[in-house]
Amino acid sequence: MPDIIDPTELEQKKIFLILASPGTIRQRNIDVIKEVSNLGYHTVVITTNFPYTVLTKLYAQNGVSPDSVSFIDAVTRNSIGGVENIPGVVRYINNPANLTDMGIAVTEVLKDHSGKKICIMYDSVSTMLIYLSSANISKFIHFVTNKLRLMDISGVFLAVEKGLDPMLMTQLTTFVDTVVDTG
Amino acid sequence: MESTQNQKFCIEAEILDNALVMIAVLGDKGRVISWNHAAETITGYSPEAVIGSNAVWKDLYPDRDYRKSVTQKIADILKTKNSFENLETVIRTRSGDSRTILWNTKTIPEGGQTRTIAVGMDVTAERETKAFRDSIIDNAYVLIAVLGQKGTIRVWNKAAEVITGYSHDEVIGRREVWKKLYPDAEYRRSITQKISKIISEQKYFENLETTILTKNRDKRIISWNTRQVSAGSVYHEIAIGRDITEQRKAEVALVAYMTEMSMRLKQPVGIISNTLLESAQLMKEGMLTPDEIITVLEGQARNATQIEANIQEFQTAIVEQNGSIPEIFRKFLEG
Repeated sequence: MPDIIDPTELEQKKIFLILASPGTIRQRNIDVIKEVSNLGYHTVVITTNFPYTVLTKLYAQNGVSPDSVSFIDAVTRNSIGGVENIPGVVRYINNPANLTDMGIAVTEVLKDHSGKKICIMYDSVSTMLIYLSSANISKFIHFVTNKLRLMDISGVFLAVEKGLDPMLMTQLTTFVDTVVDTG
Repeated sequence: MESTQNQKFCIEAEILDNALVMIAVLGDKGRVISWNHAAETITGYSPEAVIGSNAVWKDLYPDRDYRKSVTQKIADILKTKNSFENLETVIRTRSGDSRTILWNTKTIPEGGQTRTIAVGMDVTAERETKAFRDSIIDNAYVLIAVLGQKGTIRVWNKAAEVITGYSHDEVIGRREVWKKLYPDAEYRRSITQKISKIISEQKYFENLETTILTKNRDKRIISWNTRQVSAGSVYHEIAIGRDITEQRKAEVALVAYMTEMSMRLKQPVGIISNTLLESAQLMKEGMLTPDEIITVLEGQARNATQIEANIQEFQTAIVEQNGSIPEIFRKFLEG
């Protein structure tokens, strides 16, 4: 499989929208993390589907060092309850629909890792559609992409291909620099 | 010779008496000299009751102000000519009914005196029919415009006024309103070309949609239907326009809503399915702890619950948007 992320574009702090089929989106997540880590980046993964512990295992299984990834986990606290944030590793938010908490968490995690080469990965736009209207998702992604540009940080948004309506797809396309359809 | 002359007068008198229009011969100050059978039938006043006096006019026009206005109108006409044509007045008959009479007069000298022959045609039925027709046109919930040659407007009903904002008086006898309704020259040209093409092929068009700009600067979508009708040797176009702006907005909103909901239903179900399959595989490989299994399963159950709520929201929106849903389906959709 050729590179998903162009290293030059990543270096230029570009923002990517990666499209994958429902059956391969998890593997694309791992592939991207692997590529970005190999380029010396620390990746902040916002996970809205799998708990961070499961993703950590999957990354480790694929040779990604746990030190090169930290998480904003929108899944675990809802089930387990009183889990505590682990500085530098994971920040929990109550549910994927709480965009305010998510925005705050993104800001704080970026602060935690200031000085490093950072990439943010959002997994996934598609899961967010369960909880939010496309209009709200669009606003949130606009907010996040603006923030990334201001802070000069690259970002990756994962989404299921052919699952976004043309209007949302057009909006997302204008917010990001590069769209990669991995099939 | 005298007998022949008398016979001629008798025939003329009989013709006048049996004519289907009111004929009255008047002397000075409106004194009635002759009053035919039709005049008696229409007004209810017999010749015996009216001949020799002008009192019948007060009976026929009992409202003083109206009588005065008719008298004034007649006087004005007679200032310049000695007869009048197609003067329409409303008389009150002896039985109290109102009748609309179309008057034509002619003044003739006779034996040194002046006689006026007044011919009155009872046009009540025609006027009522016209008023009824006008009322239908005026009260229709669709824009009705009748166009003469080169698009000159002959009829412009109330709905046309309401939809476009342009009043009857602003448009009748003119054709500038089309430029106002279609101010963009390019769009106007494209519409004109489309209409010309259709008309040249089939003389009428159906459900042609155009967007007009109203006097209030609102945009409205109109669906036009036309028919060509002849009035003698002249052809008119009847244009009927239905304002479908709200319908189109609702359709666009419904499509947008259905697209949004299908995106928010189909894709998430696929995500749940894949997450569960992946989790099952990880469990088989012994990679998940009991807590992680619980977290994954509960997370997917929450997703499913949210999808169920989204479907209910979708059903409610369909019910709210569509008032014509049968009651049995409405209840089901409302859950």
